[in-house]
Amino acid sequence: MSSPGFEPFRSSLAIVDAREWQNVFDLRTGTKVEVDGPCVRMVRGVLERHPFPGDMDEKSNRWVTEVALDFIGEYDPQFIWLTYAQQYYNHRYTPMSEDERAGMVAAACQEVEHFIAASGFTPLIVGSGDMLPFVGFIDVTKFDGLAMSTHWSARYAGLHDPSSDDFKRLREMPEIERIVSKGEWLRLFPESPGDPARVPEFLMVAGPGHAFKTAGGAHRPLNRIPVSSFRIPVSTHVGHAEEITDIRGIVDLSLKERKTALILLEGVGGSEFPWPHTEAANGREWFFYEPGDAQHLTISTGEHRVFDYPTGYKYLDEVMDKKEYPLSGYFTSIPTNSIGNGFSGRSVAVGNRSMYTHMVPGADISLECFARNLYNQGTMAVIHRQEKE
Amino acid sequence: MRCSYCEWRCELGGYKFGVCRMYQEQEGKVVERFPRMWSSYGASRIESVPLYHVYPGSRSFVIGTSGCNFNCKYCSNAFIAKEDPAQVQGRMEELSPSELVKTARKLGCHNIVFNVNEPTVSLPTLIEVAQEANQAGMPMGCLTNAYTTEEATETLASIFSFFNIGLKGLSREFNRACIGIPSIEPVLRNIRKLAATRHVEVITPVIQGVNDDELDEIADLVAHIDREIPWHVFRLLPEHQMKEARYPNIDAVNARLESARKQLSYIYFHNFVGSDWVNTVCPDCGTTVIERFSLGCGGDMLREVRCRDGRCQNCHREIRLLTERGERNVAEEVSA
Repeated sequence: MSSPGFEPFRSSLAIVDAREWQNVFDLRTGTKVEVDGPCVRMVRGVLERHPFPGDMDEKSNRWVTEVALDFIGEYDPQFIWLTYAQQYYNHRYTPMSEDERAGMVAAACQEVEHFIAASGFTPLIVGSGDMLPFVGFIDVTKFDGLAMSTHWSARYAGLHDPSSDDFKRLREMPEIERIVSKGEWLRLFPESPGDPARVPEFLMVAGPGHAFKTAGGAHRPLNRIPVSSFRIPVSTHVGHAEEITDIRGIVDLSLKERKTALILLEGVGGSEFPWPHTEAANGREWFFYEPGDAQHLTISTGEHRVFDYPTGYKYLDEVMDKKEYPLSGYFTSIPTNSIGNGFSGRSVAVGNRSMYTHMVPGADISLECFARNLYNQGTMAVIHRQEKE
Repeated sequence: MRCSYCEWRCELGGYKFGVCRMYQEQEGKVVERFPRMWSSYGASRIESVPLYHVYPGSRSFVIGTSGCNFNCKYCSNAFIAKEDPAQVQGRMEELSPSELVKTARKLGCHNIVFNVNEPTVSLPTLIEVAQEANQAGMPMGCLTNAYTTEEATETLASIFSFFNIGLKGLSREFNRACIGIPSIEPVLRNIRKLAATRHVEVITPVIQGVNDDELDEIADLVAHIDREIPWHVFRLLPEHQMKEARYPNIDAVNARLESARKQLSYIYFHNFVGSDWVNTVCPDCGTTVIERFSLGCGGDMLREVRCRDGRCQNCHREIRLLTERGERNVAEEVSA
């Protein structure tokens, strides 16, 4: 299945470092390739110098900074996209006191400041939204229809082929904030590209603190989940973002005059954001973005990207069979409207977020952890372009 | 009274729930403490279990409960297998066997595989699931440490038609220090027994400097049972109490497997992204008969089945496969 607004890159390379063992793949086909050259050698070196400590490891965010600074020395980018997510993973899954939690957020912010001071880049910092204590699950596992939860979503789950009994059950669940039909959801974002066929027949929306329990849901105990983040903090002195879709334009403008870093701080909202900031709308009406690919895509492209891989979609039919981009999770193509793709200067993306980092920003070179469900498999770099002067 | 499900043969009664903490004595019988309670269930590729010679490319409904009768220091599912089962019930899901099988069908799964913790700790529930699955025409398989009594091994064989059995190490020192059991002998006995009547694959997590010196011996032992048994050498991801351990060096472990490859027909070395050793190669002529792609850690996937009617297309040697034509998914159609 291909999505409007997407077209595949033909020659992107993925270099996977499984610790002391590197291989190069064609990103699209997953075929191993024998390639060499200055860019490939440079990236191999960066990979080798920075083994990933693990998503929830206390050195995880420091790893992001160190890789980014290494790339600045080796590649001299004008644009860099950074994602810091260590605190997000820990807040989800690690029990901790309020002091410990606040300390972890403060440490993440210090890491951002360390990068800014060491790099000299002009920052635009975005917090992807606060998190609050998990209250309880909404059990939709016994429905006649198929309830699907994707993207680690708490607030949303898709409902496919529901029966009339399912609707009766839904009406008896006070934790559910609303049920949205496919048509209603599509009409809320008429400009959002993507494949309507992927959109579930109904979207179930949970109230604050609740998450859906569906077949295949993660079985790690939840501690905190994203709060209702209708607005997210944006810190920059080079523009003003009323909406999440404004961020791209500010970065584009900034890049005309200076080296710019777009920094995403996952799981941090306005209440704990330490820098002067304004708050940008993080969605529309009842819908807000949770930390994930749709939010990142919207920031990267400057347009709402709700339906590329809509939350609650039936991904199984796509990922089970042979698919292109086997190293890219559920992504079936690369966004062409991304910030890196539209920038003529050199660009780099680094993050402790798998898949998004190489698919969403569209940077010339990206480096991310290769982790699945928090299991640390190593790191992966992707080279989309290597011919820029 | 004593539990007869596994070789610990624990004394039960009162507040004694056995090593696995999953059984109790009730009116002179051994019963489950938490029947029909599931820690996880969902769809996955069968290659990711890993099972390489069973219904290639099929969609499996993978299930798990809680608890385990081993104490592996490197357990990758410690958050469910090593926790006190009584403490995790709040996040478990109760599903009857019919609800479970119904969900598997809704997700379009071809088979059911128990793979999160140890099936021996939930045998009565699994007997019920097997009855439902049988009626639905869904074969069942499992990952197991096979530390079962002879009687319980018979039960396993009645529930499951295919197995991946963990053979973690041979020496008494290793099994005591890293697995927490006094002897591997019951496991070896049960591999022999199950391999005689059921499809069996064997998996060995390799920890450099700890059990990699036993690889030749393990291969030799498996070969003496049946050299056609597929053997998965699994690069350990340091987890749980071995979180700080060094990642095994891939080239070094692979070099250690060179002599073992002469012993067994099918040796796989994986659990890391882009492994070169996940394809099934005809033991006689060297033709690749099943091609796979490894994403490591539960992400292996089928690329192509090139054998026909269970035979190498080049030399027609039989390839061990538990599958029937017409039973497989679209993704595993035999290529022309």
